[in-house]
Amino acid sequence: MAEIVATNQTILVVGGGISGMTAALEAAECGKQVILVEKNPTVGGRVSQLYRYFPKLCHPTCGMEINLKRLRANKNVRLMTMTEVTGVSGDAGNYSVSLKINPRFVNENCTTCGACGEAVDVQFDDEHNYGLGQRKGAYLPHAMAYPQRYVIDPRIIGTADADKAKSACPVNAIDLNMKGESAKLTVGAIIWATGWRPFDANKIQPYGYDRIANVITSVEFERLADPHGPTGGKILRPSDNKEAKNIAFIQCAGSRDRNYLKHCSRICCMASLKQSTYVREKFGDEGKASIYYIDIRAIDRIDDFHQMVKNDPNVTFVKSKVARIDEDKSTGNPVLHGVNTEGYQRYANPHDLVVLAVGMEPSVPVGDFPIKVTVNEHGFIEQDESNGAIFAAGCSSDALDVNRAVQSATASALRAIQVVNRAAGMEG
Amino acid sequence: MSANTAVVERYRNSFLKEVEANVEEGQWVKMCMQCGVCSGSCPLGPAWDHPPQEIFMMIRAGKRDEVLTSSSMWMCTSCYNCIVRCPRELPITHIMHGLANYAHRLGIAPKNQPTRKFAKLFWDNLSKKGRVNELKLGIALYFMNGLVSGIKTALKMAPLGINMVKTKRMSPMEYFGGHGIKDTKGLHAILKKAREIEAAKMQKF
Amino acid sequence: MADVKIGAYICKGCGIGDRLDTKQLAQVATRDAKAHVVREHDFLCNADGVKMIQNDIDSEGVNRVAICACSRRAKTEAFRFEGVAMTRANLREGVIWVRPATDEAQETTQEMADDYIRMAVTETKFMTLPQGSEKATYNRHILVVGGGISGMTAAVEAAKTGYPVILIEKTGTLGGSAGKAWRRIPQKAPYANPEDTGVAALIKAIEGNSQIKVHLNSTLTKTSGAPGRFAVDITTESGSTTTENVGAIIQASGYTEYDASKLTEFSYGKAKNVVTQAELDAMAKAANGAPLKNKDGKEIKSVAFVQCAGQRSTKEGHLNYCSGHCCLDSVKQAMYFKDANPAIDTNIIYTDLRTPGAGGEDFYRSGQNKGVTFTKGQVNEVTTDGTVKFKDLILNEDTEEKADLVVLATGMVPNSGVDIEVVKQDEPGQWKSNNESVLNLDYRQGKDIPLLKQGFNDSHFICFPYETRRTGIYTCGPVRRPMDMEQAMEDATGAALKAIQAVENAGQGRAAHPRSGDLSFPSFRREGCTQCKRCTVECPFGAIDEDEQRFPVFNEARCRRCGTCMGACPVRVISFENYSVDTVGQQLKNIDIPDEFSEKPRILVLACENDAYPALDMAAMRKIEYSAFARVIPVRCLGSVNTIWLTDALNSGYDGVVLMGCQKGDNYQCHFVKGSEMAHYRMSKVNDTLTTLNLETERVATYEVAITDIERAPQLINDMAATVEKVGMSPFKF
Repeated sequence: MAEIVATNQTILVVGGGISGMTAALEAAECGKQVILVEKNPTVGGRVSQLYRYFPKLCHPTCGMEINLKRLRANKNVRLMTMTEVTGVSGDAGNYSVSLKINPRFVNENCTTCGACGEAVDVQFDDEHNYGLGQRKGAYLPHAMAYPQRYVIDPRIIGTADADKAKSACPVNAIDLNMKGESAKLTVGAIIWATGWRPFDANKIQPYGYDRIANVITSVEFERLADPHGPTGGKILRPSDNKEAKNIAFIQCAGSRDRNYLKHCSRICCMASLKQSTYVREKFGDEGKASIYYIDIRAIDRIDDFHQMVKNDPNVTFVKSKVARIDEDKSTGNPVLHGVNTEGYQRYANPHDLVVLAVGMEPSVPVGDFPIKVTVNEHGFIEQDESNGAIFAAGCSSDALDVNRAVQSATASALRAIQVVNRAAGMEG
Repeated sequence: MSANTAVVERYRNSFLKEVEANVEEGQWVKMCMQCGVCSGSCPLGPAWDHPPQEIFMMIRAGKRDEVLTSSSMWMCTSCYNCIVRCPRELPITHIMHGLANYAHRLGIAPKNQPTRKFAKLFWDNLSKKGRVNELKLGIALYFMNGLVSGIKTALKMAPLGINMVKTKRMSPMEYFGGHGIKDTKGLHAILKKAREIEAAKMQKF
Repeated sequence: MADVKIGAYICKGCGIGDRLDTKQLAQVATRDAKAHVVREHDFLCNADGVKMIQNDIDSEGVNRVAICACSRRAKTEAFRFEGVAMTRANLREGVIWVRPATDEAQETTQEMADDYIRMAVTETKFMTLPQGSEKATYNRHILVVGGGISGMTAAVEAAKTGYPVILIEKTGTLGGSAGKAWRRIPQKAPYANPEDTGVAALIKAIEGNSQIKVHLNSTLTKTSGAPGRFAVDITTESGSTTTENVGAIIQASGYTEYDASKLTEFSYGKAKNVVTQAELDAMAKAANGAPLKNKDGKEIKSVAFVQCAGQRSTKEGHLNYCSGHCCLDSVKQAMYFKDANPAIDTNIIYTDLRTPGAGGEDFYRSGQNKGVTFTKGQVNEVTTDGTVKFKDLILNEDTEEKADLVVLATGMVPNSGVDIEVVKQDEPGQWKSNNESVLNLDYRQGKDIPLLKQGFNDSHFICFPYETRRTGIYTCGPVRRPMDMEQAMEDATGAALKAIQAVENAGQGRAAHPRSGDLSFPSFRREGCTQCKRCTVECPFGAIDEDEQRFPVFNEARCRRCGTCMGACPVRVISFENYSVDTVGQQLKNIDIPDEFSEKPRILVLACENDAYPALDMAAMRKIEYSAFARVIPVRCLGSVNTIWLTDALNSGYDGVVLMGCQKGDNYQCHFVKGSEMAHYRMSKVNDTLTTLNLETERVATYEVAITDIERAPQLINDMAATVEKVGMSPFKF
């Protein structure tokens, strides 16, 4: 069992996305001891897969750089990647947590020189690009990955590729015998920040995500626009790698729908409005975006962004939940069918590419929580006294945009500090 | 006072409330959020003057006459696409039939609407003996729009009819009486009772 | 302080040893840069390499360390040495990864590395380890301004964490806007019914808490000092003033409902049955469950809710934003009627119904289920007899509805105090308090927090929602951004954490975001100062005041350590211990400048350490090549770039200078707000200098570079190389 120093004055943060990182750093910068666990090989979560944020159109990597700098500089945070929480027992102020630490097969000697990646032949779907591209069996998850250390895909262990990787490493950083470990630690409070995952678009059968090449999801579209993405930032459609200049965005793809997710995922309207600006950014006046929506939820101050996009003559708004998508076999164009409910207009509109604004689903399915918390029917953790000192942060608590997720994480950090301060006898 | 005038009096303020009280599954109308996926999913969509989602909005807006005299809800073929797709799980098919039936009961449904005519013929045919007499139903349909068109259609369909008789798929004898269910009397009693209940409902307006 | 003893450590790993002559690098470090201890290592970041350095620190007295290996962004965990000033020479991402491994390139690549060694060692010579300010003060008290639901929540949460609170409220009662409401939007599953506002419980919690001191009928008449040592004057209605000392401030001054009488098209004030959302809530609170009646005493049987009344519109006198809470609040209010009597008609007329998240959509559905009707329509007019005229957007027709009561959702206007862009600060010595101001800061730059836009005191940063431009003062609730009660409570809890964090940071002399934990702070040489005021005016955080002789007064605890003041100072009297005119200026002067005929120009690149520098790093990870003539120096912010660096560079024979900052303008991405903008402004003045020197203006280029510009950033360097090729070498080479 791995040795980890933690006490009932330690705060455990589960999940290293922007919410978890924020919660961990905010608490640590108040002087608290924090253990931050992340199941993936790198922190950063979903935001590291975004090209730009709404409404500023700034780059998430910019804030990530600051947060990584904070993380590197702060000795109060201990980061454990490739680690999952398997069980929690105990009560507020004194929890016993079981962890499972998966092997990375690469130790701290790694300098990210890249020799192992070059040596390995086998490729896998690149998770960072939602499978739109491939990566090697020895890889750095992405350019901003932290810890800045390669990972050996467990699927190559025992193959010739693993040995190639090992022998290519000039600094003896690869340890193919690394084993998974378990650990137990005591903490005073837990911040649950496991975030969200995109709703599985295959389930929305009439939209043909599974059978029409040029129907993609909004998260995939982010990767297409990103210079670090599989197309180097060019908006090329999957069927023929041609530039997609006439793009449809379908709102509520899985959200506000009893057949899929009942809740509104909050972010998708703004995300599509934002993505419509990518079309203009890349193609200027040649780019056309059409947004099919039920209600545009550009909530509060940021409605001015909505107004700005609305004033763009190249962006069309259609109040309609699209009924179905067919493929025009000759052109590969998806054709959208439905009714514009503003005055009853039927349409059959061909587009170069369709982007489904997929909903936000909590990462942890309702039945799979290793912790006892109050979860609502949508899978989000509710604030409730019976949760003890387990506090949800970010999209574990509701469908939130980044700004609100960070706020939520900051608030959770305070709630956790209150518990550990009580444990330390510091309460006022 | 006709039943129609009576309900107009009673629900002066709200057609929505009238629908909720009197139309099968009418209480669902208020749950619509105007996404339009029902209208877009309907295979007969283009044939509708007012697609379902618009009808729901018209109900809320109090457009009573336009809705009840409309031919739109008679277009529904019960494919259930709309119900499957509706994000709010509205039983749209049922509501459409409910509205049609309600308009029919009030006597304000469009007179020459073919679906309505067919439905009436079908029902009259069925309710007589508890079974559909296909031969009689077919002939009745041929003559639905008058004698001349009836004869024309009958002549056109004659070869098919003869083939069906030859292959014993149809018996010309059915035209004379035809067979029914065991307890026709019982069926008639049930239907009578049902009619009484419905009539009582209308009386309350 | 002990004698300076510089150790330079040259790594041979990651191909550095294969690609570069590290013996020569070591020689350069010793001979040219005068490092005292120089060592090469095959693999500097491994345990053995780190141990070697630590040994030198422990037993050789090395107190300045130059790590000549990879980028300062890499292997940070390995190279972490206590008690020494450290710098990094970027031989991997800055040299070998951006240069081809060809024989022809070898000479210039080696020269590049040689220079980076010189620069790193020189930098260590001019920097000292920040010791932290001796003026740091620790005060655990938190001041909360505003006794509404946001302020009360912040107070209770801070007190619960163990920090005493002083809460001031302008009126005679706690509760604020929320206190006037009857019910709130539900915050818990099943999100079906309006629930108690929770205000009474909060008031009770505050009254029963000895850690929270409440001042009613009071306002702030003066706020001075800095985090850890704010002094605030609290003045009551009657005029008596008490002064309290606090460590941090939370501004929760709330909102005012938009004045509906300005919306003449809705007949507010003219028609008896037209009310605002807040008024309806007050009516409901007064009725306390009894049937609601109009002003004429008649029972209300039908209600029309007009959403976005004068909101989300660019029309004169309208708010151009959405207030976020109104849709859900109208659903809640419609339920007041429906729950009491389902026969009452309630119609919500909206253009986009905004009921987000899990709870929002559930509540919308619950409203529909209770018989609240929803009409997508654009209301154009409410007549004086209370008829709502609107365009039904679904049925595509103009129509109208007569209702007993018409409710206008007019939206939130923040109580953010004075706009310091408009209301300038009084001159030193003539300071007076201003009734319109919330904080009454005596800061040189103005009495309140700078507004972001639309009058809100929000953060400009998506990732950092609590950033204000006044250190240690945080805003929360609707003054920050339009929001409902649940969000305001969450927001207030977060703001309480930030305030506590500010207290803790100030106590230890640490910087707040974004250079969290930085112990360096600006010091200034009074003798040299010309009282030009540029530093006081240009500091993005209002950290610098003026004394009566107009000398700058630095408030370290307010400072974010961006160095904009250092960049502004024309006489260069401002510096940080580890970042100064010299740490950069000496670096750029201590490189080898080949003569004019060598065909080896030199290009100075000053790059923002947070965006442009990582972009170059990531370009290097992809082996995107750029000119071997570039010498890149990361800067804290482009705002810290002093024009002397450019003059020095040009005078020493550099052929071109490229500055890379962040996006400026309304959607600025500079984390120090104005740094990039200031730099662009200052550089626009550099042309004169160039002309005086008889140099082409193209030799200096300033760009906005994003962290994602992995192809563009190297390209900009290459562009400068091409420009130099075009205009020729600088004649200033000696």
